[in-house]
Amino acid sequence: MRLPRPRFRTLRGRLAVLYTGMFALALAVLGVTAQVMIWTHARSSVSAELAASGSVYDGLWALRAKTLAGTADVLAHDFGFRTAVATGDRPTIESALATLRARAGVQRAMVVEPDGSVVGAAGPLAAAIAGLPDRMGDGRHDAVLVSQGRIYRVIVSPVLAPMQIGSVVLALPLDAAEMRGLERLSAIPLTATMLYRDAAGRWQSADGSIGADPAVDALVSASQSTRRLVTLTLPAGRAFAIAKPLAGPNGRADAALLIRYPLQAALAPYLPLQAGLALAGLIGIALVVLGSLRLARRITRPLFELDAAARTLEEGARTEVTVTGEDEIGRLAQSFNRMSQGIVDRENRISHLAFHDTLTGLPNRTSFRQALDQALARAARSGPAGEQVAVLCLDLDGFKGVNDTLGHPVGDALLETLGALLTRLAPDGLVSRLGGDEFAIILAGRLEADRPRGLAQAILDAVARPVEAAGHQIATGFSIGIALSPADGTDPDQLLKNADLALYRAKKDGHGVFRFFEEALDIAARKRRQMELDLREALMTGQFRLNFQPIYDLKADRIGGFESLLRWHHPTRGEVSPVEFIPVAEDTGLIVGIGEWVLHEACRHAVDWPDHVRVAINVSPLQFRSQGFAAIVMQALARTGLPPRRLEIEITESVFLDGEDHVLGLLHQLRAIGVRVALDDFGTGYSSLSYLRSFPFDKIKIDRSFVTHVAADASSAAIVRAIVDLAAALHMEITAEGVEDADQLGCLRGQGCDSIQGFLLSRPVEYDAIARLLPARLAKAA
Amino acid sequence: MMRIRFLSALALALVAAIAPAAAHAATVTITVRQPDGTPLTDGVVLVDSAAAPRPVPRGPYAMEQKQIAFQPHVLIVPVGAQVAFPNRDSVRHHVYSFSKAKRFDLKLYGREDQRSIVFDTAGVVALGCNIHDTMSGFVIVTATPFYARTDAQGRVTIPGVPAGAVTLRLWSPSIRAAGNVLAQAATVPAAGYATTLTIRR
Repeated sequence: MRLPRPRFRTLRGRLAVLYTGMFALALAVLGVTAQVMIWTHARSSVSAELAASGSVYDGLWALRAKTLAGTADVLAHDFGFRTAVATGDRPTIESALATLRARAGVQRAMVVEPDGSVVGAAGPLAAAIAGLPDRMGDGRHDAVLVSQGRIYRVIVSPVLAPMQIGSVVLALPLDAAEMRGLERLSAIPLTATMLYRDAAGRWQSADGSIGADPAVDALVSASQSTRRLVTLTLPAGRAFAIAKPLAGPNGRADAALLIRYPLQAALAPYLPLQAGLALAGLIGIALVVLGSLRLARRITRPLFELDAAARTLEEGARTEVTVTGEDEIGRLAQSFNRMSQGIVDRENRISHLAFHDTLTGLPNRTSFRQALDQALARAARSGPAGEQVAVLCLDLDGFKGVNDTLGHPVGDALLETLGALLTRLAPDGLVSRLGGDEFAIILAGRLEADRPRGLAQAILDAVARPVEAAGHQIATGFSIGIALSPADGTDPDQLLKNADLALYRAKKDGHGVFRFFEEALDIAARKRRQMELDLREALMTGQFRLNFQPIYDLKADRIGGFESLLRWHHPTRGEVSPVEFIPVAEDTGLIVGIGEWVLHEACRHAVDWPDHVRVAINVSPLQFRSQGFAAIVMQALARTGLPPRRLEIEITESVFLDGEDHVLGLLHQLRAIGVRVALDDFGTGYSSLSYLRSFPFDKIKIDRSFVTHVAADASSAAIVRAIVDLAAALHMEITAEGVEDADQLGCLRGQGCDSIQGFLLSRPVEYDAIARLLPARLAKAA
Repeated sequence: MMRIRFLSALALALVAAIAPAAAHAATVTITVRQPDGTPLTDGVVLVDSAAAPRPVPRGPYAMEQKQIAFQPHVLIVPVGAQVAFPNRDSVRHHVYSFSKAKRFDLKLYGREDQRSIVFDTAGVVALGCNIHDTMSGFVIVTATPFYARTDAQGRVTIPGVPAGAVTLRLWSPSIRAAGNVLAQAATVPAAGYATTLTIRR
């Protein structure tokens, strides 16, 4: 069986209970030992006392026997008495017995004659006495007789003349008075009781104070041979007792003397000792409880403090424990303090790493977000007319170029320098580096209305001059988008997005400027996002189709080709202008997929056209630069079976913006398989002439802005003439776009344009209208 | 021993004397045993017969007090015999008897004093000394000539007992009965009579 172990919530309780328990156990052992010793001592002293009393009683018993026997003998030997007995002189005998009674103080004195008649007594006692002399063993003259529940001590003395002629018998009732007399002989208050054996063989007292009791029986029977001390439980209470069996006439004991001593009386002298022990024990326990509590408190107080400090540390607070003493707990406290300090140091380092940019030492994006959250929350608490938050998103213009040309170490140095610069310019704001060349500044609190603008302008002014970094003077600039809370949003995500939109706008507006967020920017952004989703949908579900605008060959006087134009029929919005969706497609990269579709679709249609009719396709710079563009072209040709020479790829100058080498390689590749390449929108870009030298385009398309005014404006006409001459010199064809009336046609034809395209001839048409259009001829008269 | 033999001779003489008168005389042999089966050695057997003649005292008889004891311990005398009680000791004695056969009381007497008692009634007389409790003696006063003391084998042989009805009496101090005597009737045939008596305690 396992006792449930008590659970302690405190060490203090455990120690107190442990010590108190151990002390109580020791006390209990001591108490039990003391009790046993007391018991043993009481028992032994009572035993000695009883033994002494027993011995005294024995001696007294023997002495009494002797005295009585002597008294009886005196009578039995008296010559006159013997004469009287011999002659049967009863009156004389009785008078002699009366004298004996008076002289010896014995109540009953009798003479038993040889024939069994008893002189001097009558009744039951006489009957018991009658045969007594014969029953007594040889040489015995002393016996204890039980008659009708009364116990007598009998002394028998023979009357000899010289043969026995009778017996003098003295009978002494062993009654209460006799017992009291015995008791008075003892130094201690003993109780003497006579026991006799009843008809059933059980021992009981003559006075009825002790009934039949197995313990008493056992005691008497054990006392036949040796005297022993036992503890009896009697009606009067527990008592130490000894028994003295008393021999009857035939030697068997029919009566016994029980001497007892109450346990209570035996233990009474030890009561003060026991009380003293108990009191001392209680005081001891109280002292141990107090002492162990005190000791436990001394031990556990530092532990408690350590515990509390550990909790504090767990919750993230720096904590110190007061070190007291040089013991183990003191050393533990010292270790704890060192650990606590170490944890705090590391935590600081980790959180600094987590929240700061390692390069510039500025707060990082995470930290910026937290600061923005806090600033907005604070502003929200301050009420409608309270604090403002301004977010300035900064993007370094041309940073990639710096890295590419001057190397990353210089780029890093530039970022550091600019970080320091921004920090210096915005002491009232939080400058963060969000990553790469992006910075952001939070201005919060009660701002002057013009502070965001002033700061943005100050930054732009500061970087208007070249900045020195790593020994280089670097011309750089920032584009800055600004969003204000609560006007531009109270949600940090929204505010940051709006600032980004403003930044986007600033970049669009030509770098080196700042722009505030406007609602329209947000709406446009949303539309773009929706557009992107719609475009993906459109590409997958086939909402696109191609329209074709004829290109009229002025030299051959017939339609020499069609420019394929992408059309999008939105299921809900209807026709969507390419001007609207192409930029989105370009921005999102969808233009690659769309372009591939256009290429295939155009080739598929063109293959049905007459052999001299080409198909022209506009390729966006993104698509053109995409991986595997040449392969896609060849695939489209192979799949449709369109001869390469009938495919004309129209590109704009912007394909050259990100480097010429790759583009030229691709162009030559296309040329090699026979595909024609046209330069579209000529005249609107940067420095077109260098490209013309770099690559032998098959055709140049003059932008409609020149064509529109070619008939009315002399300068436009001059430019057109110059381009036509230039193309002729380079052996390139010329196509004029946007020809709307006969004057323009006439003018262009006059200047030697190879082909024209425009509403004058036809708007872009659906595929099924092409067959009808092919035979059309322009009137030469115009 | 001498005295026994003497007594036996006396008995034989008595028998011889009366033999002519009693034509049919027989020998009585009795063996006496104690309760434990051993022979009773200090007993006296008396045979009472109506046909028996009275024994005649032939004295002198003496019961000495010598060395604080009666000598002999048991003295058998015929009825009417006078027995002297000479004191051979240097101390005085006070010899008494409370027996019915002869009650007497010889007050203190010494060597110089002559005391004698005539026993005229048959019976056992127990003798004591009031001064010396240890002294005990017996005088058997007999009315019959047929008596004997048991020998070492507890046996008596009494010749010349007239045939016919007799009373056998046995005396011994160890017999617990009135007068320390056991009595038994018997018929003695002419051819003789033999029996064994066992004492019951």
